[in-house]
Amino acid sequence: MNKTPDYDGPILEIDKLSISFFTRLREIPAVMDFSVNVAPGEAVGLVGESGCGKSTVALGVMQDLGKNGAVVGGTIKFKGRDLSQMSQEELRDIRGNEIAMIYQEPMASLNPAMKIGRQLMEVPMLHDDASEKDAYDMALQVVTDVKLPDPARILDSYPHQLSGGQQQRIVIAMALMSKPALLILDEPTTALDVTVEAGIVNLVKDLGKKYGTSMLFISHNLGLVLETCDRICVMYSGEAVERGSISDVFDKMRHPYTQALFRSIPLPGADKNSRPLVAIPGNFPLPHERPPGCNFGPRCDYFEAGRCDQGHIFMRDVDGAGTHESRCLRFEEIDWNAPLAAVIEQGSREIGAPVLKVENLKKYYEVAANALFGGGGNKVVKANETLSFEARESETLAIVGESGCGKSTLAKVLMGLETATDGTITMDNQEIQGTPIEGRSTKQVADIQMVFQNPFDTLNPSMTVGRQIVRALEIFDYGDSDKDRWERMLHLLDLVKLPRAFADRMPRQLSGGQKQRVGIARAFAGDARIVVADEPVSALDVSVQAAVTDLLMEIQREQKTTLLFISHDLSIVRYLSDRVMVMYLGHVVELGTTDQVFAPPYHPYTEALLSAVPIADTKVTKKHIVLEGDIPSAMNPPPGCPFQTRCRWKDKVPGNLCEQEVPPMRSLAGGHQVKCHLSDADLSAMEPVIEVTAAE
Amino acid sequence: MEPLTWTGTMGNTLDPILGIAATALIVTSILAIVVSFFTTSERVVVNADGTIAAQPGLGGLLTKAQTYALWAVLATIVAYIVTGIVVGWQGGGIIGGMVRAFTPVWISLVVLFVVSFAFKRKLGLYGKLFDSTIGMIGFGLVMFWVFTAIWSGVFDLISTHDPLSQVSGMKNKVPGTPYTGDEGEYPFYLLGGDNLARDVFSRMVLGSTIVMQIAPLATVFAFMVGITLGLPAGYYGGRLDTILSFLANLILAFPVILLFYLLVTPEIVATGLPNYMALALFMFPLVFAGVLINSRYRTQPPTRNLYLGIAMAIGGLLYMSLIMDQSSQIAFFRLWPGFLDLFDIPGQVLIVFVSVVFVNSPTVYRIVRGLTLDIKTRDYVAAGQTRGETPWYIMLWEILPNARGPLIVDFCLRIGYTTILLGTLGFFGLGLPPESPDWGSTINEGRKLLSVYPHPAIAPALALLSLVLGLNLLADGLREESLRD
Repeated sequence: MNKTPDYDGPILEIDKLSISFFTRLREIPAVMDFSVNVAPGEAVGLVGESGCGKSTVALGVMQDLGKNGAVVGGTIKFKGRDLSQMSQEELRDIRGNEIAMIYQEPMASLNPAMKIGRQLMEVPMLHDDASEKDAYDMALQVVTDVKLPDPARILDSYPHQLSGGQQQRIVIAMALMSKPALLILDEPTTALDVTVEAGIVNLVKDLGKKYGTSMLFISHNLGLVLETCDRICVMYSGEAVERGSISDVFDKMRHPYTQALFRSIPLPGADKNSRPLVAIPGNFPLPHERPPGCNFGPRCDYFEAGRCDQGHIFMRDVDGAGTHESRCLRFEEIDWNAPLAAVIEQGSREIGAPVLKVENLKKYYEVAANALFGGGGNKVVKANETLSFEARESETLAIVGESGCGKSTLAKVLMGLETATDGTITMDNQEIQGTPIEGRSTKQVADIQMVFQNPFDTLNPSMTVGRQIVRALEIFDYGDSDKDRWERMLHLLDLVKLPRAFADRMPRQLSGGQKQRVGIARAFAGDARIVVADEPVSALDVSVQAAVTDLLMEIQREQKTTLLFISHDLSIVRYLSDRVMVMYLGHVVELGTTDQVFAPPYHPYTEALLSAVPIADTKVTKKHIVLEGDIPSAMNPPPGCPFQTRCRWKDKVPGNLCEQEVPPMRSLAGGHQVKCHLSDADLSAMEPVIEVTAAE
Repeated sequence: MEPLTWTGTMGNTLDPILGIAATALIVTSILAIVVSFFTTSERVVVNADGTIAAQPGLGGLLTKAQTYALWAVLATIVAYIVTGIVVGWQGGGIIGGMVRAFTPVWISLVVLFVVSFAFKRKLGLYGKLFDSTIGMIGFGLVMFWVFTAIWSGVFDLISTHDPLSQVSGMKNKVPGTPYTGDEGEYPFYLLGGDNLARDVFSRMVLGSTIVMQIAPLATVFAFMVGITLGLPAGYYGGRLDTILSFLANLILAFPVILLFYLLVTPEIVATGLPNYMALALFMFPLVFAGVLINSRYRTQPPTRNLYLGIAMAIGGLLYMSLIMDQSSQIAFFRLWPGFLDLFDIPGQVLIVFVSVVFVNSPTVYRIVRGLTLDIKTRDYVAAGQTRGETPWYIMLWEILPNARGPLIVDFCLRIGYTTILLGTLGFFGLGLPPESPDWGSTINEGRKLLSVYPHPAIAPALALLSLVLGLNLLADGLREESLRD
């Protein structure tokens, strides 16, 4: 099939697009009055929280809205042709050929029963009638382009044999096979680790330049959009609220929602004192319960009754040049440079005595080579290797690392779901490393509780919210009667700032942030003294993240809780933690106060991690360090230093020391500990990764 | 008296209408399929007011015609029923007579549907069922037989004659034959007489009672056994899982019919094997209830003891009454004092029950085990573990309620299988007593003269078919609706 002849207008013109879904109860407008243009070779970012309609726009472009979705107004033109006028055959030619789409979950986009090579070759064979030989050559070329090692072997493997990052590279390669004019990326890196994400983002940027592909980049992460896109369109509740170039929107925002969004994300360039987080009040409106007038009105600081809630509000030009538009009636009147309202000083926390002490903790799993008879050589997975740290009262200790670094295993051992292989865990002078949860006293169980990552999984979907908290109270032996416990449960709901009426709701009636609050209330039911929070906010929208983070810190202040905050998001770690522990492949590679860890000297891994975090601030410049390869398997860890396979400082160490010996934990100034062979001179020669240019 | 015709005088007008409507439906359906090969699927066009525009072209026209034809067929059927209720056999022939005999069932069905429709938004999954045509048809068919079972079994309102009485001159008579027995009885054998001169219609109606008693109850027991074993197998995994799964596979691999033959062989019955199996299988619901209550209230011993005591007393009494039999030949089963033995299950019913539970529970076990394997990885299960819940609490209160969707669907399907299984058992002359009016036995009876007098076998066969079809449609509807929204 031939492509549409050359066309020099915008690749994609979306004009006043409205998309609705029809359920048996009502019409649900998902996108309203949405316009955006994508010029050839340009990358446009589409940013917004979940449910704002950004993925619906992408599906609308693909004309794949399913049975109950339909375009109810406006046009989508691709290279000047209206997509809604095309027949199914014409659309089939365009999809995957001229418009390619990359989805969030790479494994779901690949056919697990087909070799990678076959799947890639299918694209030119279907769309261009290429011969098998040509198709194979093309596939080989594209796989080389996406920087995968040993392309021939990759082509001959099945999707499950590749890591998540490699799979996503294959999905990108597949999208590029047909040299599309437009590439739609729907949260392409959300399911990946930060260092892998950094690699993919670099790749996408380079390929965009090389192939001259236009891109529509959908993301909730402002930092990523800053790094990849030329222009940005901010969406809120089905509408575009602000549109303009990256520098216009990031530095001269003219819509209150954009401003609120920026204020609610933590930046690694600043900490909580110089730049506190401001959560957006209220909740995202449901599509069928949108307020009249401005959708953002009820949550807006600049809301003016009688004006902002009257009639439809149109996009208006901000600077007269037609490149920056905002959907706000009052943007001329608002003082955009006004400093944030003074923060109420919360009174700093007294950090108390150590409550939890972990020494030389080891957790090994034995994996039998032959599951049925148990014979053959057993393999040992070293999930945790000699961990030592202590956590004090009212302290937040952040545990940072990517998937597979052993942080979840550490949580399991602390909770008593697994017992330690070696070493000690001391809580209140009692050693608990060998006591499984059934053997622990009610007090011990209640003292150490957990907040889980996935808000949609953390509550039992078939039990009311109140009942789930009351059950925790029953287990922790609280109160004498059902009435006592019910009262206490209502207090807990107050504590996490949820209305008491929620006690009778089912979890599905709650939003993600509200569920997470219930999860927090449940963890604090027995007055927990140590709370392990396993990425408690990473699955939430940014505006909700700030609120939940603040809530956790507030409860901590009141209850003097020790918080073990597991996260891969260094921005949020910097914002809320007192000390940071960086883990890699079961080892603690760096441990120190937040300031020590975020300033040089770094452990090489910390350095790479810091550079990988996308930062939504145009004033920040950072070094780009992209780690090569994937995290080694814990089944088969590299000899010597766990990080030596990806370390860029390795050649500074004389001899083959890194490959032969696990480096000792070294103490630097002020209790800062680093597990590295680098000499003091090399360490002190490190430059900061993140630098904030002086304010203009 | 004259023999009845099928539709009587009401057929003079309604029969041609039904014929035309049905032909139209068949023709349009075939045409629609043929046309779909040659035309491309049109895109759905949405009007400005949010409605979806009619499909243009030949395809759209055919779809429309098909819908109208379907409505015409349905309307004619409703007309048959309404006229039948009004005129009875006098004007409506055999169909009219039967329709009128079923009057209590029609009233119950109308009431049920009207009430359910009015409150469907408040009724959860059950209410959603009324959004799916397939589901409604299935539910209607199932409830038809449920109501028939209730009205005929409990109140004896539907059957026209005694199902066991034999009347001379009625042997193998065709449907609509005038009754030759006493005056004052219903004047016709609506669906004819069987080879023992019994009324086929009444036997079919009363057969539904037996089917409705055994099939759902046996399925419930099979689920209890499957759940009680499947949950720990999936939750703990390891060796327990290996052993239980192996046993389940063993039972599944064994030919079912052979198993039944073995169970009903007099020598084996004499050893008391079915009774011992009942002893084991009926224990599971008791264990299930006990564990359920204990895990829930374990932190409040007084409440726990109260509830557990009540449940165990009632359950225990029922259990002992069920398995103990004062007239048993085995001394062990006479141990229980007679005044506490509330009821006895006829030996053959017990055997049917045991064998149905025995062959169904391994499949349920596999389903529950699979669901448990999936659900145990959820965070709320981990949350339960980290606050020190007992494994049984997690299995029964955290995992099981969230596995209910697929289990409900499977429950509907399994009642259908069980019904067929009962039919199969009856067909082989196993299980229920020979004169029992249940559908399987009746089909078996009628089989002998099938080529000469097919009607005694066809009536129960159609009844069985419609019930199982209804259950399958109901399961489909439930599955479809539970996946939506």
